[in-house]
Amino acid sequence: MTMPTAPTMTMTPTTLADLTRRSGLDVLDHLERQVTIPVVDGLQAQGDLLVVPYAFVARAVTLTSGNWREVPTAGVELLRSAVGGNPHTLVADPGTCRWTRHVRDTMGLAIGMIETSAVAYLIHPEHGGTGIAPGRYVVRRQRERDTERVGWRGDRMIAD
Amino acid sequence: MTPVSALRQGAQRVALARRLSDEWRAHGLAARPADRPAAEAAVVALYRLIDAPAPEFVWVPSPTAALSMVRDDPDTFPPVHFQGVNLPKYPEGWPLAAQLANLVQDVRRSLDRAVGHSASRGFWWRPLAIPAERALATGVAIPAIVDMVVGDALYTTLHTCVRTLIRAESMPTTGGTDGMTWYGQHDAHWIGHYDVYARTGLADYPRPDAELLALLAQLARSAGWWWPGEGRCVMAERPTEVHTEPLPDALNGEVRLHRDDGPAVRFADDTQIHVLHGTHVPTWVMTDPSVERIHAERNIEVRRSAIERIGWDTYIAQARLRHIATAGDPGNPGSALHLHDVPRELWSRPARLLLVVNGSVEPDGTHRRYGLSVPAHFDDPVAAAGWTYGLSGEHYARLVRRT
Repeated sequence: MTMPTAPTMTMTPTTLADLTRRSGLDVLDHLERQVTIPVVDGLQAQGDLLVVPYAFVARAVTLTSGNWREVPTAGVELLRSAVGGNPHTLVADPGTCRWTRHVRDTMGLAIGMIETSAVAYLIHPEHGGTGIAPGRYVVRRQRERDTERVGWRGDRMIAD
Repeated sequence: MTPVSALRQGAQRVALARRLSDEWRAHGLAARPADRPAAEAAVVALYRLIDAPAPEFVWVPSPTAALSMVRDDPDTFPPVHFQGVNLPKYPEGWPLAAQLANLVQDVRRSLDRAVGHSASRGFWWRPLAIPAERALATGVAIPAIVDMVVGDALYTTLHTCVRTLIRAESMPTTGGTDGMTWYGQHDAHWIGHYDVYARTGLADYPRPDAELLALLAQLARSAGWWWPGEGRCVMAERPTEVHTEPLPDALNGEVRLHRDDGPAVRFADDTQIHVLHGTHVPTWVMTDPSVERIHAERNIEVRRSAIERIGWDTYIAQARLRHIATAGDPGNPGSALHLHDVPRELWSRPARLLLVVNGSVEPDGTHRRYGLSVPAHFDDPVAAAGWTYGLSGEHYARLVRRT
């Protein structure tokens, strides 16, 4: 996609270095910071999280309230791994992106919904950054088959 | 006060809070012998506050060693969890440990009033994800920044990443109560919180509260865990070794336990706690990670830690997994998805193993490979990968990018 050139968009980060500087979040040293972060208009994964265009899962995922929240400059932690480290954080320019955790998913995997009018970014200390094109998305966790038969689904969540 | 001098004062307070937080973290992670006279003096003073005579002190090398003493002596360490008819009629009839806890709880409530909010957090709470100095510049209130730098950071390190793991190792939840455990150096996260509020001039405590806080602070600086009983107090030494690494997203010095080539925590009686990158693992993961043990393990983090120690290729060969199919991973150029059959007797239910490759590169330049178990009916690796996210193979094939 082409980047709009309006003055308000000059703040839009395009490299991992820009993104970490702007959000205050950091990533591990070995990740390449000067490469432009691709903006994806479609299905994408960051570790154990999947960003799904809403149209893919419109029948499975529904909102349970209209309680959207603005994504602040400092970002929103979507998911944190088991031992307290490595959050997936959603960051966006002020006033361009909102999110909610109030979703129901017949698969039980959705943790929230994002609606963004400009490019938003997902940043993770180990996986780096990725851009999300304007649109509405569902964020899902990854699962695997439980090797013991526990619970009614017999699946469990992945935490990396 | 002018806005500029207010900002400067705020910056000075935050800088002081950071320094004090570092000090408290160092006490919490300290691996040197206890300062027994200081610790005993503090406990005697605490007993005096509830009108109890000074106890006899029994020092043990680790929390594990203390546990049997506490459990085997119900007269000295009576149960403190009451139900219905067991509840003593008057507070004076409570066990000493319960009276002490009650006293500290009352004081904490009073300290919270002076601070303006509670040190403990609700389940809904999420930490501020920006550096303190930037929060200061954007006008976040000083107490919120101090909480982030001190209480939250110390809680993450000392409670979540250290104390929880030591407790899981030395105090299995089966086998009865441990009485009332005080965590000494690992109580530093909440003691430090109150201490820093006072020392940065953000709170002023009534004198009796300040005196009790000073006693608890003295204990946190001088000893490990302790168990107050009737006439006797069991005190545990601090660990002899504590190995950590920074938390990957640490903004305020948070660390987690980690050691590749030995126990991350060791006590003088050779109680050992093995931890890989914050994941508490059983000893066999370090010494003898066999296929059978891996398959019997419930915890995926532990399984992955163990398989990574022997290597995915070795694991698949040793487990004699039958190869079903391989396909390119959509969105992850150059990486393949491998689907393997898993013998039913190993996982005790029909399942297949999907070997996937991380989209992002590791510090050593490799891409981490990991296995996921998927339902046995999948023959197509792409469809199996889609299932892990609740998607069809057709949808998952449209994955644009994986990081």
